[in-house]
Amino acid sequence: MRMLAALSVANLKSFTRDRAALFWTLAFPVVFVILFGTIFSGGDARYGLAWVDQDGSQTSTALRSAFAANAPVELTDGTLEESKARMLSGDVDGIVVIPRGLQAVIDAAQAGQHPDPVEVTVITDPSRSNTALAIQQIATGLVMASNLRLSGASPLLTVLSDSLQTNQLNSVSFFVPSILAMALMQLGVFASIPLVQQREKLILKRLNATPLPRWVLVGSNVAVRLVIAAVQTALILGIGVVLLHVEVVGNPIAIAGFVILGALAFTSIGYVIASFARTEEAANGITSVVQFPLMFLSGIFFPLEILPSWLKSIATFMPLTYLGDALRQTMVGGTPFVPLWVDFAVLAGWLVVTLGISARFFRWQ
Amino acid sequence: MSLLGRARDDAVIAVDDVRKAYGDVRAVDGVSFQVAKGEIFGLLGPNGAGKTTTMEMIEGLHAPDSGEIHVLGMDVRKFATQIKSRVGVQLQTAALYPQLTVAELLALFGTFYAPSRRQPVERLLDDLELGEKRDAQTKNLSGGQRQRLSVALALVNDPEVVFLDEPTTGLDPAARQGLWSVVRRLKGEGRTILMTTHYMEEAEALCDRLAIMDHGRILDSGTVDDLIGRRFRERGVHFGRAGAPDEEKLRALPGVSRVAYEEDEVVLYTSDVPSTIGALLGLTGRARTEPADLMIRRASLEDVFLELTGRALRD
Repeated sequence: MRMLAALSVANLKSFTRDRAALFWTLAFPVVFVILFGTIFSGGDARYGLAWVDQDGSQTSTALRSAFAANAPVELTDGTLEESKARMLSGDVDGIVVIPRGLQAVIDAAQAGQHPDPVEVTVITDPSRSNTALAIQQIATGLVMASNLRLSGASPLLTVLSDSLQTNQLNSVSFFVPSILAMALMQLGVFASIPLVQQREKLILKRLNATPLPRWVLVGSNVAVRLVIAAVQTALILGIGVVLLHVEVVGNPIAIAGFVILGALAFTSIGYVIASFARTEEAANGITSVVQFPLMFLSGIFFPLEILPSWLKSIATFMPLTYLGDALRQTMVGGTPFVPLWVDFAVLAGWLVVTLGISARFFRWQ
Repeated sequence: MSLLGRARDDAVIAVDDVRKAYGDVRAVDGVSFQVAKGEIFGLLGPNGAGKTTTMEMIEGLHAPDSGEIHVLGMDVRKFATQIKSRVGVQLQTAALYPQLTVAELLALFGTFYAPSRRQPVERLLDDLELGEKRDAQTKNLSGGQRQRLSVALALVNDPEVVFLDEPTTGLDPAARQGLWSVVRRLKGEGRTILMTTHYMEEAEALCDRLAIMDHGRILDSGTVDDLIGRRFRERGVHFGRAGAPDEEKLRALPGVSRVAYEEDEVVLYTSDVPSTIGALLGLTGRARTEPADLMIRRASLEDVFLELTGRALRD
């Protein structure tokens, strides 16, 4: 134990004194979380709309108030020409045009006539399909609601927006566990680098000339990875909770268990890389290449359902799919892809198999 | 068998017909030698002769294909850990954690050994003159400092046997002299030392006995005097070629077996140095000259190596 502690401290010191390694391991996931958090803070996305009121009546003013009060939009008044210029220069996301004659139609309708409906024009940019769709829906919804109210009918159906989780799972809550899973994956597979470095610099050989048992050597390497994993988890969760208001609802022991199991499984994959890479450059190359399929062929950044079926069947073998699933379930109560015990079994299976491969093929010098 | 067995009892290192091949290359091809307690034993030979492989098998870093190795009376195959706790190893390439300081590294290695064997870090720093560098990260050390640290690391467990693999390769003359005095001090403390080198001067200056290796085999072994005396009874009388007497007259001098001309020198090989020199001075005296830069030289390890292999050591 004394040897294990001393060697682990030495390895940690080496790690923290290597600025580049420190940056990539700690700062990178943090930057990632903040970046994704900002992009996907879906709840308060607001659209800028140019408001072109060609009617200038009591009804058109009431309609404007309804838009401003009930939809996530910022309205900018102007003529159609001004508004088009604003949209072209990117100041607004869309234009709503209230045509002349609105008040006249309303008046006619209230007088019991049946005039042709007025066309409210919504201009959007089809190249930004998400934004265009959202604005069209907002406008349609508000126009329909106004129709009902203006025609004096009482609504029979309403839509209550809800999701399956007990706690609302917004995009950020989906991404924070994903990013944690990704960080643990990278931390693990890059475990090959210090090991290959130490072998290349003959440090492993020198240690082998002392009575130090090999399990201590491997143990300290794993211990260092776990310490860094703990720091990463604290950072990512801390940012998620404090800055992005992600609600962590799961059992802390289950979360910690899956963080540790995930770190171990991917570290063991890193050892497989270290078993076959002769030089540090080779290890770096293999690790970079390996991490991309591990990352993108797993369901951590998008739901597996949207993948083509052949990709989906690959993803069902990827360990990161299961770590992401387990962390999402235990941390934010996400919809299970598979039951937790399957996540556990798959990760444990990867750990055992890759450990076996490394034990068979790893060379100390 | 009985002879071998008895010798092994008091030999600190006993190597018996050890072989190791890498693919088709016989890196070590039947090597045997013994090192007595308190001795400095050297393996001398060019790069690729098998010195390092031999040494690393004795250190327990590689398993030999065949043959037996005993260190401190124990079989290396069966008692590797026990042996490792009592010996100190300096590898050819100083292998150090680049981001740790000198003192941290010495303390770390100390934890690998039993407290009773552990040497105080401060003492190691003093002994190897690393005190000033105690808080420097090892990546910032000079070549000589790295090599001294590497030796210091080999001494953290107060070892009975010290293995030094090319300890002065790449060092400047002053740093080399410094390391030589460290090695002599280790011998003075009663430690047994096995070292490799491809420097003749180093082998002559330090080693009590040595083995000359080439192509994985030991060509000859013994003290420096043995190795030279066994082949070169004669000595060379060297003097300037300018104004030297005729070759026939020189060849007729007492004791001279051969006359050789090397660049601007004449060399008389003789089995009787006093008679040859006396007669030479008589000869030049009569001509009212004297031999310029007169020098008597015995054969060197370089000559031994040339004789054994047909080529110079530093080819």
